[in-house]
This record gives sequence, C-alpha cells and structure tokens, in this order.
Amino acid sequence: MRDYWLSKLCFDLLEPARAREYRQDREAVLKRYPLKPEVRAAVLDDDVAFLARLINPYLLRFYFSAVGMPDADFIARLRAADPNPRPAARRG
Amino acid sequence: MAELVGIYAASHGPLIARDWHRLSDALKGRLSAAYGELGRRLSASAAEVIVGLAPDHWTNFFLDNLPSLCIGIGEEHGGPPEPYMRDFTPKALTGDPELGRHILETALTSEFEPALSYRLRLDHGLCLPLSRMKLPRMPRIVPILINELEPPMLSYRRCFAWGGLLRRAIASYAKPARVAILATGGLSHSIGEPTMGEIDEDFDRRCLDALARGEESELIDLLERGAGRAGNGAHEIRNWAVAHAAAGGRGFELLDYLPAPEVYVGCAYAAWRLA
Repeated sequence: MRDYWLSKLCFDLLEPARAREYRQDREAVLKRYPLKPEVRAAVLDDDVAFLARLINPYLLRFYFSAVGMPDADFIARLRAADPNPRPAARRG
Repeated sequence: MAELVGIYAASHGPLIARDWHRLSDALKGRLSAAYGELGRRLSASAAEVIVGLAPDHWTNFFLDNLPSLCIGIGEEHGGPPEPYMRDFTPKALTGDPELGRHILETALTSEFEPALSYRLRLDHGLCLPLSRMKLPRMPRIVPILINELEPPMLSYRRCFAWGGLLRRAIASYAKPARVAILATGGLSHSIGEPTMGEIDEDFDRRCLDALARGEESELIDLLERGAGRAGNGAHEIRNWAVAHAAAGGRGFELLDYLPAPEVYVGCAYAAWRLA
C-alpha cells in the first residue's frame, strides 16, 4: 500500500516551481498535505529509510532530488536501511 | 495499407541528459554511436510515423488514475517537462490521430481496453532517445504509455499479446503510412531502491540472448521470473517484449550493450528483424 498524501507531495514537487517553493519553506508547503504525524516528522528529518516503505521508489528518488540531496548520499541511506538487497550485481 | 518498416529499442536514463557533460568521453562515444545508429536506421526506413512504447515517469498519471496502457490519439503531444530536457525540440510533437484511433479501436474489438489521451506529455522516456538519435525530421508520433512504475503491471505474457495486437492493427490500417516502432527503457536498473547504481549484467545478457534468438516462451519465462529481481527499472523491458511480439519474434540485431553504472542503467540498443 502507498501513502497517498506523501505520494502526492512528492508528485507535486516534480513541478520545478513547487520544488523551489518547498526548498524555501518546507513547513508552509507541508501544511497543504494531511500527512500523518510520523510521516511528517520523517519528511522533516529526511528519513529516507522510513519514507521508502511508504511510496513508489521513483517518487522517493524524485523527492530527494528535488530537496537537493546528492545521489550518493541518497543511495548510501537506502543501502544502510537494507544492506543486502540483491546478490551479485555490478555496482557503480 | 500501412507498412511496418522498422522496429527498434533504446534504453533511456535521466543522467544521459542531465549529467552528459560529466560522463567519460568513452561512455559518451558509445552512447552517441548507439543512438546515432538507431537514428540512421530509422531515417533510412523513411518512417512517417513512430509508435513509441514508453513508461510514464509520473508525468501524465498519478495514483488518482493510473492506466495500465494509454494510447495518445491527439493531433499533438507535449514535449518533456523535465528541466534537464529543456533543450529538446520540437516543444510539441505532432501526433497521428487516425492511426492512434485505429490501434485503439482494434484493441477495443479484441482483448484489450487501453485508456486514451488527446494530449500526452512525453517525458525523457521517449524524448531522450528521440533527441539523441538526431533525426533530421521528426516523424508523427503515436505514443503508447505502459505502466511500468507502479505495481500491479501487465504480465509479460500480456505484453506479448499486446505486441501481436499492435502488429495486426498496423497491418490492417487502410491508409498508406510507413510505420516504425520504437521501444524505450530497460534493461536492468534500480531507481530509488537500495540497488540503485547496480546493474545485473548477467540477467541483461541472458535477456538479450533470448531476444536475439526470438524464442517467445523462453523469453516470457525469463522475464516473468527474472525481471523483477533486476531492479524496478527492468520493468521497462515490457516495451521490448511488446516490440518483440510486434516483430513476429524473428529475433533482433543487438547494436550495443553497455552496463553503465555511471548512468545507473544497463543500456541496450537493438533493431528487430522484419519479414
């Protein structure tokens, strides 16, 4: 199951103007979305591992890209949450 | 009567556009050569229309309304909205409403019920390959978007059936038109998953080998069992399956395969054998 309102936030931030507004004032933008308290806290904490369980992975990636988290940091946080997800693959 | 003049496939990936200037010269050279060869072949085919098979990267659809299949039957479709695709031209792509509607009606009188759209926005999934192919003239586009991001999705068996239907629809189109199919996406890659940046080269090569031989049941078995473990981006191989079936399963010529962690994608480029 997906968290609809978290997904909607991430989806809306695909619009560059909205992403800019969000980077300037997260709290103001978050007021428009009825997020559950624990989800809102995870958003404010950039808790990749927590949020990854709630939304589509592409939306998760778009969201953290929109807030300016470098891919290397994002990937490191994903791997820390699930250090052995798949055997034998070529790693970049 | 319409004529199917070429069936091609190309990987895509945002970093191939966004980070182009940061990629190594060797990688840029391989990617440019592969896209360029596809562009050369597509131009040589004198295709007037491209049926574009692509995923929708949350550009047109969201959880509110998420069709498994959607056919663009409008006169025009919007170009890519992603900031890193801002240089893409034309800003709007000319559609082919009559062919799009014919494919839709063929589907509705057969065993598929796709959604329709009179104006889709075509994101990097389709526009990045079109851009890198450097076509001297952009053919009309009939986009067919397949849900390859959010489960549940079409089974691979259904994708093969959809490809067969697409072939019949093009063959039964009464107006003269030279039609090409361009499938985009895949092969193995992960986006927003812990395996992001990893490429399952073994799976990719087995997949390409089966595609080259053309054996449909082997391919369906491999894809149904293996694609889900090759990263969520590997769901886009559905487009290759559709193209394969549309070509009649005669196998294909692999133009290049590059496991390219720099762009997070197992990049492959191919042209199917026709008749």
